[in-house]
Amino acid sequence: MLYPEIVIAGCGNPLFADDGFGPAVIEEMQNLSLPDNVAIIDAGLGGPHFIFTLLDPEKTKKLVIVDIADFGAEPGTITKLRVEDLPPGAYRDAHSWDLAEPLQRIKDQIDITVIGCQPAKVTAPEFELGLSEEVQDAIPKVIRVILETIGVDYGTTIKCLQEERQRGTAEGSGSTEIR
Amino acid sequence: MSKVVEISPTTRHEGHSKLVLKVNDAGIIETGNWCSITPVRGVEKLAVGKTPEQVPKIASRVCGICPIAHTLAATEAMEASIKCEIPKDAKMLRHILQLANRLHSIALHDILILPDFYLPGTETKINPFTAEEPVRTVAKRIQRLREIGQTIGQIAGGEAVHPSNPRVGGMYRNCSEQAKTKMYDLAKEGVVLAKAQMDLMIDILRNYQAREFVDVGGMKVALPKTLGYHNQGYLATHPFYGCSSLDECPSWSLDRFKEARPWDWYMGEMEVSLEEPKYPVGGTTKIGTKVNPQMEACTGIPMYDGAPVEVGPRARLVTYKNYDEKGTVGQNIAREMEYTDCLYEMIDCIDALNPNGKVVADYIPKGDGSLGWAANEAPRGTDVHLARVKDWKVQYFSMLVPTTWNFATCSAALTGAPWQLAEVIMRGYDPCVSCATHMIVLDEDNKLVAQKLIQ
Repeated sequence: MLYPEIVIAGCGNPLFADDGFGPAVIEEMQNLSLPDNVAIIDAGLGGPHFIFTLLDPEKTKKLVIVDIADFGAEPGTITKLRVEDLPPGAYRDAHSWDLAEPLQRIKDQIDITVIGCQPAKVTAPEFELGLSEEVQDAIPKVIRVILETIGVDYGTTIKCLQEERQRGTAEGSGSTEIR
Repeated sequence: MSKVVEISPTTRHEGHSKLVLKVNDAGIIETGNWCSITPVRGVEKLAVGKTPEQVPKIASRVCGICPIAHTLAATEAMEASIKCEIPKDAKMLRHILQLANRLHSIALHDILILPDFYLPGTETKINPFTAEEPVRTVAKRIQRLREIGQTIGQIAGGEAVHPSNPRVGGMYRNCSEQAKTKMYDLAKEGVVLAKAQMDLMIDILRNYQAREFVDVGGMKVALPKTLGYHNQGYLATHPFYGCSSLDECPSWSLDRFKEARPWDWYMGEMEVSLEEPKYPVGGTTKIGTKVNPQMEACTGIPMYDGAPVEVGPRARLVTYKNYDEKGTVGQNIAREMEYTDCLYEMIDCIDALNPNGKVVADYIPKGDGSLGWAANEAPRGTDVHLARVKDWKVQYFSMLVPTTWNFATCSAALTGAPWQLAEVIMRGYDPCVSCATHMIVLDEDNKLVAQKLIQ
């Protein structure tokens, strides 16, 4: 009812520098014209309880979460994760419910992809505004990945992305990391 | 001899907090300290030098649960400072947004407290996620109420989580005639569901209240009739919305407010001497652990007329509707009673909204540096933001959020209760701890904040 077939949620807090990556991606995506069955949401810190616990699996089939993730790569590197790859507590409801996580409850009914970007700096608990340059530069790339994930051919972007990936594989990078 | 028990972290609320309790041999709390352990982050400093448009967006990010209350309070503090009156239809949209937020919050709180209580007529504690009836129907109804709140909030506020429609001087957009009809239909659907939900929750709470003993993690605990009683006062500024002027609301005045430091208020260093591994979830803190609420607490203690006060649903009902039930059960019932009130008020606001009316003030002053404040009646209580704007730059900004008020009041309410029920009392305040940690900086002399601001 509330959320359509495809939901893209940008998570994180812009007050902690690179933690604002998810909301920044959403802000950029608001300039695109997307199909009616796609909702793009700046989830901020409210993802677990305002979105993940309110998704109706009969209506929503695909959830894409955009966030920062520390996977030990160069800042600005992007990776795709499945719910199984997430460390415990990654998207725990802020209400620290019964320690069961909302994504675990819905992962068998909704196709969930987490797109993570390696941050350069996260300033929590100190506030700082603005993304680092590396993470800022990753935004266009991540949007291409999102569009590819939800199967939207936005002009030539997907094609460009595939070409870029082929080049990457030829150089021997491989795996799920997208360079 | 008294013993010390610590419950850390507390569960089923937002943020990180803990309870340090000094209990007697019978396990009854002699002194209770409920403190926030989320670090102070200094949003006030970040706001200085920004434009009045940016600061409400920053304020809305301090907490994942209360973006609507913070956006509205910060926007209105800016408007109060620059002395800008917004058009009536903008006001109506903000009221609708506020009430949608409250509806969602009450429904969420139902889910959080249900596991403390029993299904009436049985000895079964409620698990809101069970697939069995009748709980499943109730859980679905709660979800639907949350959806209704979220959808109306999205229409009035522009976005689902962080509202983008409110701006200094009014709202960016009015809604369409169709959107107004949709909000109306949803609110009408909500009234029926909310009434049924309220009745059920009151039954559940009365059932709990009538028990002599309750079960906590397999322990049989005597339930005192005075669970959660305290003798502090109440503070509310409006039954639904809030205000930003003393002419509108003489009950909130900055001159009557001051803040004590946590180290004057909380207990000093102690050692945990009572441990209970059966306590949900995961047992209490191990014996021998050093605790020091004075140093660990991250919030100041706000005082109104020299004493901590309670804010929230009961404070609103006491102030505006002669409600008089004390204790934790009374507090939860007050929150349930706001369900239907909130939807009826929402319907009135939707009725009054003219989709063709203007929603931005004709003239938005740049500000002369005078102090403005706005008190917003957030679901959890009075959320006060203070601001000074000069030449369209914020010179001063501060937030005094609802749960900060309630920390000391709730600590007082813990006295006399069995320690196993301390979390039940705490949850009655529907705490949101992460946004409660923004300290108002006061000098050592404890001078009135107002004096400090106006100098």
